[in-house]
Amino acid sequence: MRKLSAVLCCIFTIVLSNSAFAILNLELTSGVSGAVPVAIVPFAGQGEAPVNVSDVINTDLQNSGRFKVYGRNDFSDTPSTIQDVKFKTFQELGTDDVVIGSVRSVGGDRYQVSFQMLDVFKGKDNAKGSVTLDQTMTVSGNQLRRLAHHISDLIYQQILGVRGVFSTRLAYIVVHRSDNGATRYILEVADQDGENAHPLLSSTDPIMSPAWSPNGKQIAYVSFEGQRASIYIEEVSSGSRQLVSQYNGINGAPAWSPNGKKLALVLSKDGSPNIYVLDLGSRQLTQMTHDWSINTEPAWSPDGKTIVFTSNRGGGPQIYQLNVANHAINRISYDGDYNARASFTADGSHIAMLHREHGIYNIGLLDLNGGNFRLLTNSGVDNESPSIAPNGSMVLYGTLSSGRSVLGMSSDDGKVQLKLPERNGEVQDPAWSPFLS
Amino acid sequence: MKLKESIKIMLVTCSLVALAACSSMHKHDNGSADVADASGGGAQTSGAGEGDNFADTSNLSPEQLLARRTYYFEYDKSEVRDAEKAAIFANADNLVAHPRAKVLLEGHTDPRGSREYNIALGERRAKAVEDLLKSKGVNPSQIRVISYGAERLAVPGHEEGDYQRDRRVVLVYLQH
Repeated sequence: MRKLSAVLCCIFTIVLSNSAFAILNLELTSGVSGAVPVAIVPFAGQGEAPVNVSDVINTDLQNSGRFKVYGRNDFSDTPSTIQDVKFKTFQELGTDDVVIGSVRSVGGDRYQVSFQMLDVFKGKDNAKGSVTLDQTMTVSGNQLRRLAHHISDLIYQQILGVRGVFSTRLAYIVVHRSDNGATRYILEVADQDGENAHPLLSSTDPIMSPAWSPNGKQIAYVSFEGQRASIYIEEVSSGSRQLVSQYNGINGAPAWSPNGKKLALVLSKDGSPNIYVLDLGSRQLTQMTHDWSINTEPAWSPDGKTIVFTSNRGGGPQIYQLNVANHAINRISYDGDYNARASFTADGSHIAMLHREHGIYNIGLLDLNGGNFRLLTNSGVDNESPSIAPNGSMVLYGTLSSGRSVLGMSSDDGKVQLKLPERNGEVQDPAWSPFLS
Repeated sequence: MKLKESIKIMLVTCSLVALAACSSMHKHDNGSADVADASGGGAQTSGAGEGDNFADTSNLSPEQLLARRTYYFEYDKSEVRDAEKAAIFANADNLVAHPRAKVLLEGHTDPRGSREYNIALGERRAKAVEDLLKSKGVNPSQIRVISYGAERLAVPGHEEGDYQRDRRVVLVYLQH
């Protein structure tokens, strides 16, 4: 416990190893005070494997901000089977949960990964009753990193009772400004830890507002190619895309309905930006707001019955809620003179939004039951585009660091803070994927 | 006495703020043909330094007015400043005189705030300029409007002087 409290006070920074594909570097800048200790024993037999599975698990759990992870430097023996685990060693570290495992090459670029998690306070040495997780999986070399994230998800869920998001992905816009003034915009997807980044679209015209379909297979976005705003839907795996909206004026802010069959969007074809719903099957377009104020940034509630959006109908931008069935509108944000870009948590209980206070744009979380409002950022710089992790544990957003646009993450209580800077440019307008399996 | 003194302090503060606004704008104005020459107007100290002499066009020739095709806006506002109107009207006259000419009006905002809300705000600004062109008899078919919101900043910096240059409508001739 003494070690634990030492961790509480210190702010630690971890930089992931730079693989050839990594563009974002995930850095944990502040951990949570209630961090749960867990020991990740280096897996046996990893010398031949292209990915060090237990190192990836260690980093995942560390970067979640919710664990105090004990690794290779914290104990002398590295058991890989239950028989070899000396429970007392780990009991003295003060950790209940110990993860052991092994990686075995089975030929043809195939690897068999076995791992167990033990609760060392639950039984004596060798006791089967102490095993809380026990799985063996065989994958190819290029799937090892994904498998490691999957194991992290299982550990996270076993200990915290909530599904982990280590296997999810992020979409975001990279902006490269060259010295001659030319700007390139790239829509990119990467693993949740910033690794394994792939471009989906590269353009000299702006790209914005990426939105994952509920099944995680498609991304809707706005592209300004050809000096006009258009909404496209692109398949993440193949890169093929279809044009879904190209009216005169604004075509913006695409938002998928929870069943993935409809797209809420913003059109100004009749003179002023209003919310519409496009049925992706029939292509039927339904106008949802009908006025001359700004109406934008629609986001569906998880039950699909309401859409929250930003409107300046009361003067400055505030969040309103629209009943999809009868189009009735009521205001839901009252704190402050600028609230925008709302989105629901998966359980529908909270709304994340952009909130201006003392001239600074922060990310806030509004509890819809009781109206309690909590700021998740307060570092004195402007933030933008909050996007909530599918398990509700973290909010991803654009922020500034030393004058550059980077991505930031905050836990839902604001205590865990992470940054994902882009090495060669600026990164903005992020969207967190849903669960992908 | 006390009242007088506090008024004095207020006046000094006001003019200092206005001066600060001026100097930061001058600093950024160098070398850009589209940006108004703010040097002619002297110090107009109205209000708490909105920088309203930023676009003083009173000393510009008709040719210079026609060449002025970037119009600046105040924070979170989409009303065209009076000082920008002479240049917009010069381009309106040009469009009326050349009915085959076409322009694109690009609306822009500074990077602060929400991206899609800024798209709407940028469109408001571009449409405000469009309305002025139409009020002078320009055929609507000669004008196309697009909003880039905060996606194409004039200056990538994060100082107020940079933000002022970002909040703009740019008039681009697509054909003359």
